[in-house]
Amino acid sequence: MNEVRVGVFVCHCGTNIGGFLDVPGLAKYALNLPNVVFAKDNQYTCSDAGLTEIRNAIAENKLNRAVVASCTPRTHEPLFRSTCKEAGLNPYLFQFVNIRDQCSWVHMQERERATKKAKALIRMGVARAVLLEPLEEIEVEVNPRALVIGGGIAGMTCALSLANRGFEVKLIEKEDRLGGTLNNLYMLYPTHEEASKLVQAKTKEIEKNPKIEVLTSSEVEDVKGFIGNYDVTVRQGEKERFFKAGVIIVATGAGTLKPVGMYGYDGENVITQMELERMLEKGRLNADTVVMIQCVGSRNEKRAYCSKVCCPTALKNAMLIREANPDAQVFILYKDMVTQGTSYEDYYGKARETGTTFIKYSPEKHPVVENGSVRVYDEFLGEELSLPYDLVVLSTPMVAHLDSADLAQKLKVPVDEYGFFLEAHVKLRPIDFATDGIYMCGCAHWPTNVGESISQAYGAASRASIPLSVGHVKTEPSIAVVDEDECSGCSLCELTCPFKAIRIEETEKGRKAKVIAASCKGCGACGAGCPQKAITMRHFTDEQLLAQVITLAEAVP
Amino acid sequence: MTLQEGFEPDVLGFLCNWCSYAGADLAGVSRFQYPPNVRIIRVMCSARVDPTIVLEAFIRGLDGVMLLGCHLGDCHYMTGNYYTERRVKTTKKVLKNAGLSPERLLIDWVSASEGERFATLVKDFTERVRKLGPLGNETDLEPQQLRARLVAAKETLAQEKIRWLVGRERALVEDKNVFGEKVSQEEFDQLMLQTIEKEFAKRRILLSIGEDALSVKEIAQRVEASPREVLRNMVSLERDGLVSVVGIEGNSPKYRRAGG
Amino acid sequence: MEEKPKAVLVIGGGIAGIQAALDLGDMGMKVHLVERKPSIGGRMAQLDKTFPTNDCSICILAPKLADCFRHPNITLHTLSEVKNVTGQMGDFSVKLLEYARFVDEEKCVNCGDCVAKCPVKVPDEFDMELRKREAIYPYYLQGVPAVMTIDRENCLYLTRGVCRICEKFCTSEAIDFEQKDADAMLNVGAIIVATGFDPYDPSGIPQYGYKRYRNVIISLEYERLICASGPTGGHLTRPSDNRPAERIAFVQCVGSRDFKNNPYCSSVCCMHATKEAMLAREHNPKVKSCIFYIDLRAAGKGFQEYVARGEQEYNISYIRGRVAKITEDRDENPIVWYEETQSSKTNKMTVDLAVLATSLMPRRDVKELAKVLGVELDEYNFFKTDPLNPLDTTRPGIFVCGCCREPTDIPESVAQASGAAERAAETVMR
Repeated sequence: MNEVRVGVFVCHCGTNIGGFLDVPGLAKYALNLPNVVFAKDNQYTCSDAGLTEIRNAIAENKLNRAVVASCTPRTHEPLFRSTCKEAGLNPYLFQFVNIRDQCSWVHMQERERATKKAKALIRMGVARAVLLEPLEEIEVEVNPRALVIGGGIAGMTCALSLANRGFEVKLIEKEDRLGGTLNNLYMLYPTHEEASKLVQAKTKEIEKNPKIEVLTSSEVEDVKGFIGNYDVTVRQGEKERFFKAGVIIVATGAGTLKPVGMYGYDGENVITQMELERMLEKGRLNADTVVMIQCVGSRNEKRAYCSKVCCPTALKNAMLIREANPDAQVFILYKDMVTQGTSYEDYYGKARETGTTFIKYSPEKHPVVENGSVRVYDEFLGEELSLPYDLVVLSTPMVAHLDSADLAQKLKVPVDEYGFFLEAHVKLRPIDFATDGIYMCGCAHWPTNVGESISQAYGAASRASIPLSVGHVKTEPSIAVVDEDECSGCSLCELTCPFKAIRIEETEKGRKAKVIAASCKGCGACGAGCPQKAITMRHFTDEQLLAQVITLAEAVP
Repeated sequence: MTLQEGFEPDVLGFLCNWCSYAGADLAGVSRFQYPPNVRIIRVMCSARVDPTIVLEAFIRGLDGVMLLGCHLGDCHYMTGNYYTERRVKTTKKVLKNAGLSPERLLIDWVSASEGERFATLVKDFTERVRKLGPLGNETDLEPQQLRARLVAAKETLAQEKIRWLVGRERALVEDKNVFGEKVSQEEFDQLMLQTIEKEFAKRRILLSIGEDALSVKEIAQRVEASPREVLRNMVSLERDGLVSVVGIEGNSPKYRRAGG
Repeated sequence: MEEKPKAVLVIGGGIAGIQAALDLGDMGMKVHLVERKPSIGGRMAQLDKTFPTNDCSICILAPKLADCFRHPNITLHTLSEVKNVTGQMGDFSVKLLEYARFVDEEKCVNCGDCVAKCPVKVPDEFDMELRKREAIYPYYLQGVPAVMTIDRENCLYLTRGVCRICEKFCTSEAIDFEQKDADAMLNVGAIIVATGFDPYDPSGIPQYGYKRYRNVIISLEYERLICASGPTGGHLTRPSDNRPAERIAFVQCVGSRDFKNNPYCSSVCCMHATKEAMLAREHNPKVKSCIFYIDLRAAGKGFQEYVARGEQEYNISYIRGRVAKITEDRDENPIVWYEETQSSKTNKMTVDLAVLATSLMPRRDVKELAKVLGVELDEYNFFKTDPLNPLDTTRPGIFVCGCCREPTDIPESVAQASGAAERAAETVMR
């Protein structure tokens, strides 16, 4: 039967609705609406008894649409949808009408007008219900392989974790060996373990693990596809490798700013912390007085951010210098000492106790490096000091790799103004990209230390393992659909969508928009803006919305 | 038109599932009372609301429309409400161009924790629309004339050119174009207004022709514009294939609507 | 035959516990999420907005609460505590104590008729005791599960055998005084600890005048005052006389970086003080705020720019200097006495309201929990981890994330929670 048969269930919700609206009257009213063949009021539609009534009514009256007028869909829509499904009715043929939170509870002194409003809302709900279509969730299969881009501590940790979970991993590293920034560090704070030992241990673990294939001296050349189905091209020298992956993790780390033109940097007498680490590792430090300057090239107009790791790094290196040479004098010139949390405050204390001198300088009066001495205005003392030096060490911030924007383009993901990868949500989705199936961890996201990079790496592995574990991605069927005959390929939709869920592709009919069902969230931003009106939003079609508007207006005398 | 005594405005609200609809629910949970004039349609994102649907509401006689989304920057779908903002801006311009007060269309942002704010917003808007009076009260138009203008307004918002401009506004004004130039907001607004005026005039002409064959002078009478303005638009409409000349009467060509 | 992977226990239903539970549930694992309060949500539900985006906290939290509640793989145990753990990694036996709510969760529709009739009034914990609530109450309005709870320590029937008026007025028959506390036994493969923090009580620093002067409050109390769904509807008024607070002093490092109390840094206070000052000005353009700090720590993404905006656009002054003491004048205006390190001068400032940014400390009974779990705490009583295995406790199979590990902000808690979920999954799926 093609006839639309609507059943309406109006809830009293005890006295919450029944005490303020004429609920039996509403049920009677509903029965007289077009296409409604069954209407009933009940005390608690969400109770076991109420749900049973719905299931029975659907069967006995051959209902092919169900409308419940009660509280709010935000809490109860899933419940009623399941109930319909159990009764053999497609859950997307269910319509909710809110006559409690948005009617009886807010018009408590206006029984007549509130009831009239409830009638209008029910009429609108029924009009929409009539136009609803059955929809099925779409399942997209997920390739059980992960691609990890970057073989530093974050990438290695993530790859190992996923491999331990049983997934195949391809680990791509630009340099000729694993380790990333760790290969440029001497000791790690706050434990003063050697970075190289950590790299060796992780590398060994990876080599032993049969699920991980490492491609060094390799770079990602091209990425196509979407969650569960990425087609990746990797270049290794002259060779090109192709493979499929279900998820991608970006762990490409960050570089360090070279302070060219700042504070007399010359790489010999005025060096960076990284260069100092090289010297310390090789035992080549020959300085009795070292002056370190913090916030070089950061926390200024050009680069506003604080790079977090530079303060503990300076403390570490200061303590290492004094350990190697107890007669050495080390000064740290700082603006704010950023030693957060439980781990670093006593590290700061230790540095003070072991003889490092701290001088606070103000943002208005930066230190000046002259020939043989550094002039600095000490804020606490309130006077200018002149510090003779053998070596000046500049603490510079971590900066995004020069080619991060390039990789971002290949993956079709965004970067922020500093070139660090931009996450889906700063608070609640810090290591996801807005594009499903791609994740990030470590300094590619933002300057951070080894411990946090490791936490984030496990975090990214967790996020990535979700589609991998389930084996498929289920899509909510209320997505966008393109009518290719109407589509002119103007690409406005592609520009509008933040999830990269609709893209222009070449077809035999020319350039057309194609929806990636697995990524589409059904928000409607593309559909409501399409110049050709070529996009339909399933379950929120123009016709369905207009039906609600038109039937509402019809009551207007 | 004079204000009726005890006029109760009919107001329609589009609320987004994640923020404003949740805020409205919270108003209910907290029992913040507000006038029962508003009927709410739930959408997943405020960006779902095509401006033509808003116009349909006015065409059908509703007195006020509210479009409520998440606060800018908080959109559950990241950027949806930025598009809503720009679309409503354009819709208001079109409404104004058609003679209707843009105050009848409200856009605002309500978060899921702002129950009281939602109630206050509804109270204030209902009052505002009440003061404006029934739809069209601010004009001197007869109901048929008002309707004709609103239909032309809706068709304007359905036009490819307008929709393209609205959708590209953010990119044009905030990023550089292929030549490395940026369009200033003022330049863009100028361009948009001109385009709206032109498209609206064309739609009005088309609607006024209806099934008839009319001369420029006759059309000018129907749309209450000067024959010179109408002629300019006829040339454009002819070029677009939307009208064709079907005969001459004296010195004047007669136009009919054409398929296209 | 392949054994089905064991379930995972998550202790703590704040944002970290919720994120860990959701990740594990989404992976297909069974999760038991245990929360001692009547509803999940934790500290994040108490915040008004969150830095650096000034997102409404409950707005971004609520969908996660709903997801947890509805998730087919997550079993929520609210009003429950972990009492005993035996076994080893891969096979733990856990005894839960599920306290009686005296309200049937299946029948309660959260209508509030009972609350309207209850004659008892006691300080409300969620609103930091800034208002009173009844003995039958919702823990907070958007709480999940969305049901009432009866406070057994203040309910007239449960303490004195009289009343039962809520039962009379409940049309869903949801009140059930026959409910008993019950033990539940769980068998899990891994445990994640996400029990969050308690704010330091600055009564331990008498020179700041907390509890002596009514207009000296702590940050969490401020958050409830400024929150639209809080005790004053979001109006920032002074506790003493309900006058609007327009001159506000934020005192940092109260109990932190302090050898007598907590030597460590609580990480997030520089940022949340900035946020709180911004919100005050958003609510009232006449507000002027001063933040008294030692070192400004704004190292996260977008944090430094946030602080700069505070200074430039929100009329916030950052004054470097330790606050020596707070006194008050006859109108109960707090007077903040401080030494400004830049000028080395001592100064005082009279304000309408003083907000103390107190240390984030482990929960008051964390030692008991650590004993039950058989894990070590560090010198500050946070769950001990090591820098290269930051999510592992000292007992294999038990992992940790969020503020019970170290004071940290929401993004880091979320990333750690996902990380802990992964560690648990690795354990359970071997």
